[in-house]
Amino acid sequence: MTISIWRYSHLALAISSFILLTLASLTGIILAFEPITQKVQPFRSSDFEQVTLAKALPVLKKKYADISELIVDQNGFVLIKATDEEGEALEAYVDPANGNILGKPARKSDFFEWVTSFHRSLFLHETGRFIIGLDAFLLSLITISGLILVIQRQRSIKRFFAKIARDSWAQYYHVVLGRLSLIPILIIALSGTYLSLLRFKLVEEKKIAKEVNFDAIRSTPQEELQNIEIFKHTPLSEVESVEFPFSEDVEDYYTLKLVDREITVNQVTGDVLTEVPLSKATLVGKLSLNLHTGRTNAIWAVVLMIAAGNILFFIYSGFVITFKRRKNLGKNRYSADDARFVILVGSENGTTFKFAKIVHEQLLAKGEKSFITELNRYKQFPKAEQLLLMTSTYGLGEAPSNADRFLSLLKKYPQQQKLNFSVLGFGSHAYPDFCRFAYEVNNELTLQDWASALLEVHTVNDKSIDEFNLWMEAWSSQANISLEQKDSINLTAAVNLEKFRVLAITDARKDETFLLRIESLSSAKFTSGDLLAIYPAGDHRERLYSVGKIGKEIQLSVKLHENGLGSGYLKKLKEGEEIQARLVSNSHFHFPESSPSVILIANGTGIAPFLGMIAENRRGTSVTLYCGFRQRSSFKVYEDFLDRQHAEGRVQRIELALSREENKQYVSNLVERDASFIAGSLANKGVIMLCGSLSMQKDMITLLNNICTTQNGKDLSYYQSHGQLLMDCY
Amino acid sequence: MNKIFGAVAAALLVLTISTASFAQKSGSSKYKCMIQMTNYMGEGAYIVVSLIDSKGAYDKTLYVMGSDKKWYPDLKEWHKAFAKKKQDISAITGASVAGGDRSVHVIEVENAKINAGYKLRFESAVEDNKYQLKDVEVPLTTETLSGKNEGTGYIRYVRFMPN
Repeated sequence: MTISIWRYSHLALAISSFILLTLASLTGIILAFEPITQKVQPFRSSDFEQVTLAKALPVLKKKYADISELIVDQNGFVLIKATDEEGEALEAYVDPANGNILGKPARKSDFFEWVTSFHRSLFLHETGRFIIGLDAFLLSLITISGLILVIQRQRSIKRFFAKIARDSWAQYYHVVLGRLSLIPILIIALSGTYLSLLRFKLVEEKKIAKEVNFDAIRSTPQEELQNIEIFKHTPLSEVESVEFPFSEDVEDYYTLKLVDREITVNQVTGDVLTEVPLSKATLVGKLSLNLHTGRTNAIWAVVLMIAAGNILFFIYSGFVITFKRRKNLGKNRYSADDARFVILVGSENGTTFKFAKIVHEQLLAKGEKSFITELNRYKQFPKAEQLLLMTSTYGLGEAPSNADRFLSLLKKYPQQQKLNFSVLGFGSHAYPDFCRFAYEVNNELTLQDWASALLEVHTVNDKSIDEFNLWMEAWSSQANISLEQKDSINLTAAVNLEKFRVLAITDARKDETFLLRIESLSSAKFTSGDLLAIYPAGDHRERLYSVGKIGKEIQLSVKLHENGLGSGYLKKLKEGEEIQARLVSNSHFHFPESSPSVILIANGTGIAPFLGMIAENRRGTSVTLYCGFRQRSSFKVYEDFLDRQHAEGRVQRIELALSREENKQYVSNLVERDASFIAGSLANKGVIMLCGSLSMQKDMITLLNNICTTQNGKDLSYYQSHGQLLMDCY
Repeated sequence: MNKIFGAVAAALLVLTISTASFAQKSGSSKYKCMIQMTNYMGEGAYIVVSLIDSKGAYDKTLYVMGSDKKWYPDLKEWHKAFAKKKQDISAITGASVAGGDRSVHVIEVENAKINAGYKLRFESAVEDNKYQLKDVEVPLTTETLSGKNEGTGYIRYVRFMPN
């Protein structure tokens, strides 16, 4: 909720001021060149830092008898106003140490004058100044709301500069550059605001009113210019200007305008006549002007220029983000009360909406009553049969802003009829809490007695179309809705099939599983846990198999289904035959090489990827394998191989459960027996990998969650979001 | 011999006097002019120093403080008077003067116009503030050119000094 408030204000402020901000930024970029071009001019004396007034004034006075004023500008250039030998007015930059002329001041460029005037008032005089001032104020509000959004996004101030996940380039760079240029932009905005406040007298700036007491002016004792105390103590770097006495009359005095005060000095005796400090308002005003224009420091001017350029980028990228977000909120053809399919979306930037709409539109195209909305609009859906929940995760495992009330709404509105649900999490492994909110949603739903999971929770990393298709495939087969496959294929831009050759195929055993070994003819790169996609009918229909990498070969363990499209096709393959297929990287199910220990849990053909992982375990990661089969004969095929791996130390322990023979155990019984071992492994950052049937997975999740909460005091979703529970079930 | 010498000396003297008086009559003199502003709030003032003839008409512009032409119309009467007859003021233009500041310039006045019924006018204008036609207006006399003249608008006083 709070996110929304800040986001809406950020947006509202931006919309209300973007045209002016664009103009101000463009002109600001141009104006930043002014101080930069000035600094490079050779009018600064090398002795500038050392020279005091006591040194400079006598030199200048001697060389330019009727000097009337000395001005030190922000560049440290010393400008004098005097008259030359012909009595003509003379204005020149001089070296204060010897009085030599270094150059003549150029007139302020008409172009910069013009741009400055536009930047300041849009050529609209007072009205324009007011508008620009207000805009500067709005910019500071935008910056502050942006700052808060970044902090919320990063979950804490400490993590302000932590890594940002990349959703879309506009959004990514909006945040990345936002963090970097926040401070300079805030300074630009605040200083600009302050200058406007001064201009409109909303901050009272007192002019210096010096009252020289002429009765008290002394004409003795006379003091030489170079011996006057105040001049000796005033370096030129503290001086803004010196007004020389108009005549030699003792009542005419020196006026020193210093950076923080104004002093008048008796020209004969050197007495300080008055000393008035500048008001706070004036000092802040000067600082604001320095900061706003970069006139005192070329590097700062460059920073300002970059920041102004960034404002332009923010305006552009901000609108790209907004339009994207708005585009994603489509209209529903059917009402929530009529819908059979309800798609609930939690999306921070609208990307998840895009994916959800693919499903939504396909369902509509099939004539199904599908309803799509935000997770926060969860309520009773009286005719719903299938609940599809797609959500991203915000910040550190938090709900996105349009889903943050979902969990409480879920408790508030139990559905009256039984229905199936499937959760699809969108996220990026760039975040530590990958898809955590999706896991939470899934776990909460599992607790509702009216809800049953149609699928395990699936995740999509970095908008992977492949992973999304995986879920679509799984969902449509379970929900018995054949989605318009053509569309889903279209998403996977041009499929490039590769050639593979069958090396060996075993006969189907009693339980109708068989092993298939193939090799890639194009030496495609893959690893255990990746998927092999085959197209048994040569059309769009795709079947996926988890692969184990044994040496350079691909090993599949396939269960023969009656009339199974994929398994039937594979069963008929002969040694030496070539097939067309492709390898799909399934990075969320790769062997975690950096993990201290790995527990592999499989039933049936789910052991296939694990065989490859064990064979590849050359780093000596501690591996425990729990596997379940119906009868010992099913295990026989793998036994020799596993024994060899065990002897070579690639797998420490193999636990076997046989459900139809001997002990009649399920793999879950073994895991339950070893509960403390499992819990300890998780607590020590160990990883559990699950591969096999969905029903095994379901039991296992309940069991593991129990173990985690009772023994470690943490939900399974915690480990899940930290990548300590990897699953690939079917 | 003495006679001749005396005659030459007299002639020389006459010559000297006449050239001196000629210079006095037809030449011009430079004066340092200092304008001290009041502590008014607002933008820098645009000030134009003009010579006004005995009929009250603009005779000549002596100095302009403020370089951006776009504000010149604010100095209404002056701008009106010189709208048709163009004058080159680039050599006698300086910066505008902010409240509380002083500004020192050199102006050049034809000697013949001093003590001859002419006036010096300091006309001032500040963005979004009142226009002052006669912020300072004083007769152009030897006396004013060596003294202090109080202002009525943005100018506190004006002082002159032979340069």
